[in-house]
Amino acid sequence: MDRAARIMKALGASPRLGVTELSDKLGLAKATVHGLLRALERQELVEQEADSGKYRLGAAMLQLGNSFLDNHELRGRSLMWAGSLATRVGEAVRVGVMNGETVLIVHHVFRPDNSLQILEVGASIPWHACALGKAVVAYMPRQRRTALLSGELPRLTGRTMTEPSVLRTALEEIAGLGVAVEDQEAVVGEAEIASPIFDHHGDPAGAIGVVGPVERLLQDGPAAAVVAAVREAGRGLSRDMGAGRFAVRR
Amino acid sequence: MSSPTVRRGGVGSTSRGAWVLDVSFVRRWIVEAAARIEEQRDFLTQLDAAIGDADHGINMHRGFGAALATLESSAADQPPGELLERVGMTIVYRVGGAAGPLFGTGFRDIGRTISDAPAPDAEALLMALTAGLDGIQRLGAAAPGDKTIVDAWAPALTAFESSLRSGGRVDEAAREAADAATIGVAATLPMQARKGRASYLGSRSIGHQDPGATSTALLFGALERVVRRTA
Repeated sequence: MDRAARIMKALGASPRLGVTELSDKLGLAKATVHGLLRALERQELVEQEADSGKYRLGAAMLQLGNSFLDNHELRGRSLMWAGSLATRVGEAVRVGVMNGETVLIVHHVFRPDNSLQILEVGASIPWHACALGKAVVAYMPRQRRTALLSGELPRLTGRTMTEPSVLRTALEEIAGLGVAVEDQEAVVGEAEIASPIFDHHGDPAGAIGVVGPVERLLQDGPAAAVVAAVREAGRGLSRDMGAGRFAVRR
Repeated sequence: MSSPTVRRGGVGSTSRGAWVLDVSFVRRWIVEAAARIEEQRDFLTQLDAAIGDADHGINMHRGFGAALATLESSAADQPPGELLERVGMTIVYRVGGAAGPLFGTGFRDIGRTISDAPAPDAEALLMALTAGLDGIQRLGAAAPGDKTIVDAWAPALTAFESSLRSGGRVDEAAREAADAATIGVAATLPMQARKGRASYLGSRSIGHQDPGATSTALLFGALERVVRRTA
């Protein structure tokens, strides 16, 4: 089991690998790798490319990935809110949940302008570099917050906050406002305004945010109409999740 | 253009050291860069469609169109450094996405360095190109290997410097820089993006050529051609 899982993770990290490459990478005998690949292929968890003979993840992985995402109650409940938020503000909307030290994007609505955009569902963004992550962490219990602040804080752009003390102050402000703002801290040229979503325990379950060009979202400070719409979506989603009227930070 | 029979700066030329980083060079560089970007606009957008928002070519084209307008609206005797600073700021404001702030900052810092340079020579160009890369890295925090502009600019700069240091003429240095940028672009293909929205794709960014690096190679290609003509 363990070895099969390692093969699948290796294929998840590289687009396609041959038996020899896998055996080198994982330190397993070629015969072992071959046998495991055959078993995984029967279950459609991996597939072999016809022309190169190399292996990649199979169609069954997509179904597993989708059911993993569907298991998040938040995702299901966010579909309607995210769609109407995107329509209202004319920008893209993302919904994310915390996954260790990163935010996992579980839902993404494209900017409604018919332009070609890439689907960011499944992307992981370090929590401190995006408004979604900061919105969630600002409402986490102090102990968890402190642990995250003392964790790794990689720099994604020149504007990423990588100083724990600076971030701590930012989180205090976010908890006061109920809205988190990110100014090109994950991607140059891009900004995000996000609001936390609370579950029926009053704990932050995730966040919903509007993401778009910095010149549109933060021209003279955060666009008031976007802030209002994001806050409303966050509150509405929290209500749908069974959260009480006022979320209390602990 | 001068008569084709006059091959100044060619092999065996005695015009060594005659090259001047003046306003006419700067204007020609921007015009040539704008022409190449216009020519490659659809290709750049196509590259971006694979790992981004499919707007890189359109944005760069708009930005360099605005840069040409900046050239026209500038006084003919505006110093080269100041002119490039203006071009840089135009690109920051007129090109969307990450490319505007990054390339705009690069040109702005190139301009500032030229303004402060002791002499308008090849050394000044080297310092300016170095400052341009520094500015881009300050803003984007990208390192070589992240599949960005840096992967074309950094090798081009290294080639330019080592060519000058080994006694090469400025046109030779510019040619080696342009070649290195092109090789740098090809090297982005197998890289996994670690910066920008393309990084959200994880391993799916592998196998695609980086649009930002490609545009960078166009800028260095334009530089090579204009230096060759003015050297």
